[in-house]
Amino acid sequence: MVSGPALPRPARLEWFEEIVVPHLNAAYNLARWLMRNDDDAQDAVQEASLRAYRFFDGYRGGDPKSWLLSIVRNTCMTWRRRTQRGLSTVVFDETVHGAARESTAEEQLVDAGRRSALRDCIEGLPVDYREVLILREFEEMSYKQIAETAELPIGTVMSRLARARQRLEECVSGRRRAAGV
Amino acid sequence: MNCESARQLIDQLLDEELDAGLRIEVRGHLADCRACLEAYARLQDQKAEIQGYAPHYEAPAALVASIRAAVEREAAGEKAALAAGTKWRWAAVAASVLLAVSLGWNFATLRSGGINRDMLEESLLTSHLRSLIGTHLLDVVSTDQHTVKPWFNGKLDFSPDVRDLSGGGFPLAGGRIDYLAGRTVAALVFHRRQHVINLFVWPVDALAGASPWSRQGFNLVHWESGGLNYWAVSDIPVSELQQFQALYEK
Ligand SMILES: [Zn+2]
Repeated sequence: MVSGPALPRPARLEWFEEIVVPHLNAAYNLARWLMRNDDDAQDAVQEASLRAYRFFDGYRGGDPKSWLLSIVRNTCMTWRRRTQRGLSTVVFDETVHGAARESTAEEQLVDAGRRSALRDCIEGLPVDYREVLILREFEEMSYKQIAETAELPIGTVMSRLARARQRLEECVSGRRRAAGV
Repeated sequence: MNCESARQLIDQLLDEELDAGLRIEVRGHLADCRACLEAYARLQDQKAEIQGYAPHYEAPAALVASIRAAVEREAAGEKAALAAGTKWRWAAVAASVLLAVSLGWNFATLRSGGINRDMLEESLLTSHLRSLIGTHLLDVVSTDQHTVKPWFNGKLDFSPDVRDLSGGGFPLAGGRIDYLAGRTVAALVFHRRQHVINLFVWPVDALAGASPWSRQGFNLVHWESGGLNYWAVSDIPVSELQQFQALYEK
């Protein structure tokens, strides 16, 4: 495909509806897991969507979801770097997250407990591991799609995914032991 | 297969990323090795747990609305900028002809039937103006129709009819791929004195319309011939546009 000249306006809006809008849930889910809060996730998806609109020339066909999610993750990663630059020490996600949240009554229930344990443990994974896990388990992407989206070699995708699962397993079973489940 | 190899492959087994041969080997090992089978079962449990218990976040409706609004604003801004930017350029170009030939455009396939005649006109004008303002006027530069026509092979799902009208004062300059209303079209470029003519060609439908008519100071002429729709848009007088039409139809 020839690299395109700019689309006329109505076609670009139509294109946006077809290529971007259907994947906004996936975009938000990824951003929400990467940023770990709703406000930042919404901002990131908003900015990423506008970037997608402006730089649609970069879309060379292929899987539109991978393309959009790649813009989303780049936006999120850039923001994370920017907001962490002022800190003197490397911030590990585990410690960022570490502050114990007050358990609500509802979360005493087993299901709710499982939910919060899982959420906390996934959020506690280093962001590089978390990213491949989310793309694999939530978006059900193939290794190849993950490699494209996260701009990684496929071998790195596999090793990060394996480590993510291992860490998640340790974290979840640790929480269970602590809870006496 | 030993345990070490098996452990390295169980993630790929779980994710259905193994080819048939390795899949059989790993499964064979799991059938004989309780430790590896348990490791695999833990992975399966974890996957199920994530699917069943981890939150799947959905984009809030307000966010989607806000994104749409932002994109619409952006689009409106571009249009204004484009219009402002074309004025001086337009003076320099003095006059130009935009011509569109349609070889069968299936409006029904366009999303939500959103394309109407207004949008088509706007798309034609915008594409033409962009080609004048930007650097992307030609992908293939040639005055020879036998060079330009084959250049489109494999780039389009149809084959445009390319003619050199230099005998009539409209020499061929080349062509490019362009986009109109969400589909790829051929754009043939001709010269008329110092003016540029874009001739857009794309697969047809039976869009009937009276012609000529005017829009934003441009004249548009539409005719049908040999099962094709032809669209000519110009800021030159209608009479001259119709002369072009007559030549092209000859
Ligand atoms: Zn084994």
